[in-house]
Amino acid sequence: MSGVMDLGGRAWALARRNVLAAYSVLFFAYLLLPIAIVIAFSFNNPTGRFNYVWQGFTWNNWRYWDGVPGLRGAIELSLEIAVIASLVATALGTLVALALVRYGFRGRGATNLLIFLPLSTPEIVLGASLLTLFLNANVAFGFWTILIAHIMFCISFAVVTVKARLVGFDRHLEEAAMDLGANEWATFQKVTLPLIAPAILAALLLCFAISIDDFVVTYFNSGTRITFPLFVWGSARIGAPPQINVIGTAIFVVAVGLMVTNVLVQNRRGKRGLV
Amino acid sequence: MGFLHRHRGLTPYLLLAPGVVWLGLFFLVPLGFLAYQSLESGSIDFGYAFSWSWGNYWNAIRNYRGHFERSLEYAGIATVLALVVSYPVAYWIAFRGGRWKNLLLLFIVAPFFVTYLIRTLAWQTILADHGLVVRTLHHLHVLGSTGRLLNTATAVVAGITYNFLPFMALPLYVSLEQIDGRLIEAAEDLYASRWKAFLRVTLPLSLPGVVAGTLLTFIPAAGDFINAQLLGSPTNHMIGNVIQSKFLELTDYPAAASMSFVLMAAIIVAVLAYARAVGTEQLTG
Amino acid sequence: MRDLEFTRRQLLERAALGGAALTLPGFLAACGGSSKKAASSSHKLAKTLRFSNWTLYMDTNNKTHMHPTLESFSKKYGVHVQYTEDINDNASFFGKIQGPLSRGQSIDRDIIVMTDNSRYPSLLIKKGWVEKLDKSALPNIKNLQPALSHPAWDPHRDYTLPWQSGMTGIAFNDKLTDPVLSIDELFGNRKLKGKVTCLNEMADALSLVMVSNGDDPSKVTNASFNRAITKIKKAVDSGQIRQFTGNDYAAPLAKGDLAAAMSWSGDIAQLLSENSHLHWNLPADGGDIWTDNMLIPKGGNAYTASVYMNYVYDPKIAAQIEGGDPKTGDTGVYYICPVVGAREALLKTNAAIAKNTLIFPTKKMLDNVHVIDPNALNNEKYLTTWQNLISA
Repeated sequence: MSGVMDLGGRAWALARRNVLAAYSVLFFAYLLLPIAIVIAFSFNNPTGRFNYVWQGFTWNNWRYWDGVPGLRGAIELSLEIAVIASLVATALGTLVALALVRYGFRGRGATNLLIFLPLSTPEIVLGASLLTLFLNANVAFGFWTILIAHIMFCISFAVVTVKARLVGFDRHLEEAAMDLGANEWATFQKVTLPLIAPAILAALLLCFAISIDDFVVTYFNSGTRITFPLFVWGSARIGAPPQINVIGTAIFVVAVGLMVTNVLVQNRRGKRGLV
Repeated sequence: MGFLHRHRGLTPYLLLAPGVVWLGLFFLVPLGFLAYQSLESGSIDFGYAFSWSWGNYWNAIRNYRGHFERSLEYAGIATVLALVVSYPVAYWIAFRGGRWKNLLLLFIVAPFFVTYLIRTLAWQTILADHGLVVRTLHHLHVLGSTGRLLNTATAVVAGITYNFLPFMALPLYVSLEQIDGRLIEAAEDLYASRWKAFLRVTLPLSLPGVVAGTLLTFIPAAGDFINAQLLGSPTNHMIGNVIQSKFLELTDYPAAASMSFVLMAAIIVAVLAYARAVGTEQLTG
Repeated sequence: MRDLEFTRRQLLERAALGGAALTLPGFLAACGGSSKKAASSSHKLAKTLRFSNWTLYMDTNNKTHMHPTLESFSKKYGVHVQYTEDINDNASFFGKIQGPLSRGQSIDRDIIVMTDNSRYPSLLIKKGWVEKLDKSALPNIKNLQPALSHPAWDPHRDYTLPWQSGMTGIAFNDKLTDPVLSIDELFGNRKLKGKVTCLNEMADALSLVMVSNGDDPSKVTNASFNRAITKIKKAVDSGQIRQFTGNDYAAPLAKGDLAAAMSWSGDIAQLLSENSHLHWNLPADGGDIWTDNMLIPKGGNAYTASVYMNYVYDPKIAAQIEGGDPKTGDTGVYYICPVVGAREALLKTNAAIAKNTLIFPTKKMLDNVHVIDPNALNNEKYLTTWQNLISA
């Protein structure tokens, strides 16, 4: 009797497990469908102006990726902004995270709140408020206003990412180093930094990804400069050329490639017990 | 470093200073300017002047009530959809993902790395009147023969759901992953039904993730205007569309600024109502 | 042919007059005596010409996406052209540039293009935010259509020069619908529900809807304005109008997602190569005409910009911009060319274009277009009502 129950239970468990698995497969299909479309249409060979209907395969969009006037400049601007913004924001964010995790000080709660607030403010409000600041302060819109904005909304992400790693971090290692005579700076350089390096790298990547993707805040604060997302916005009105898909695919492949490598490396380290 | 040794109490402030100053200058101060601007009156031709025009707020609410309501409605529906759709997957990865967990998580984040606008444009292609989805729905008679998806409320909500899905799925996963498997086993022994065990133990334990995911999805969704612009029709426009056009097209800064604050207030009210419903300890803890 | 030229001139005259009354006394008071400094008199060409234009408003090679006349300009003068298609509608472009211009900052552009059926060209001049043309570098200005030479808001063309003119009418796809020839049909035929779009420029939509109501768009009153708004709003609320658009009706129209659209003549002339089932007509009750003008924003290099304008006012170049070149696979702009002699040049090289009535309209068409009341364009209440309508 109990054997039958057991069998029934197992069958149920198996079915349930598979239902979940099957559902998950569907879910991922849904998640990745638009990306598949983006990638596919980067190889489309539209006869006319519009890249909507599949009309044949070509490598040309990839070969002439910058064959659309203005596209190259937009990509360069986006890359420049993303590199600088992610470096600065990660540096500032790491320092803030160190202070928050390592030290008890007056105003800790307020600082936590200050970090949390930008994350929970709609982008349109972030963009609009910066716009009014720059307007009232007579600042010329362009490269610098975009950069300032991007650093601003990246800092909180950097803090959160680095903080997560620091919290689960063994302070004894540092204490040991200090006991061995290393001063604070040396300890930081030789012990702390290497240990939190993966988190810093993750923060850099995250900030870079957020910056290069940002449309709303940039839209409000770019003046007449055009970043890649702004270029997409403009060209969407008249039928985005396949080159847009090429760049979108390239960003996707590079980012996912980096992350897969990161995951695989960590998995391997995990197996060797190095984490 | 000698300086730091002598003034250890200063160290945290020195570490904080650059980041906090930046956020103060470029996040808090701008909000102040926005508040100031929201109380101005005037026009683009004659210039704006500060005049405690609380009427701007009144006008924002009176004239755009429908947009505010629509924003909260779309964002709310999209949040619930995202929760329902991604919970099972987060559960599956957390408990059955094994060593593929990280890779599977990566799949969830992957859409993030295709530019937001390009993703949304891809949905334009997918939902187009002559696209596969619409034709299939016509065949199944789900959609009337003249029915469409693109430029409808359905498309806007679907777009928002999709675009903010990772914000929901990741916190769900994190909270589920932290649940001790033995606890669930014990619950299954106790309740003798997996479903009951799930309802009584797993679900409550994952509530922090539900709360975090809900907020992370709802807040940006309520302020979004891209999905309504690219996938909606004028009757689906949200408050973000109005704020955007008031700021950048009509250059009616006071109206736009006051609407931004009304939006923030509406979001805060919605979040507080939600907090009451799920219990405050979930929000703060 | 003479006859045609003549009415064409009349037409353009009316278009130019349209901008006339843009000189509201209020404006004058507000920006009293904004003195315009003489444009920097340096007669050296800049390294780069920064040109902001509307999308699909330049001759373009179908394969390379390059713009042949811009390339040949670069070659001829050694000036690199930074050509940006970042103008999607007058209002949002003005919104973008007014901040810096109002504070005397440069917007990093030497030429921008704005429509005279919006308030902005005259507003920019009134506010002193544009440089004077360097007429010493612009001998070809003699080729400007006489009818367009003296708009009231820039009587001597000191600040502006037409880029193209165009007509507003209705396009439809004959595979999806019977001919749509009137606004009442466009907004009222339930078979087209959700398959039509309306333009988001107030002047275009308003003038077409007003004539369909039997009102005179050249004399907008509160009553006629409200009638037009009510009509459009009804069509929005009933789901008849799918979206308000700028150029962006083009893709769904070519693709077949739209059955009909309020649209601009040149766009449809271009789209015919994508979809031969498209047709464009002025509504039976009448359409609308407008002119897009090149302006040099403050801080732009007036000399270099003027040299470029002179170049495009060469009838041969104007013809190339207008009609492209089928032999090399170049698509033209297909709007209405303001340069005298372009049609003659085209007759020799590209007769099909020269005979296309969307590009060189007939007398009958020209008798059937209206110019909107410029006062309406400056009415804050109208503008706000309109903006609220299109963002629902």
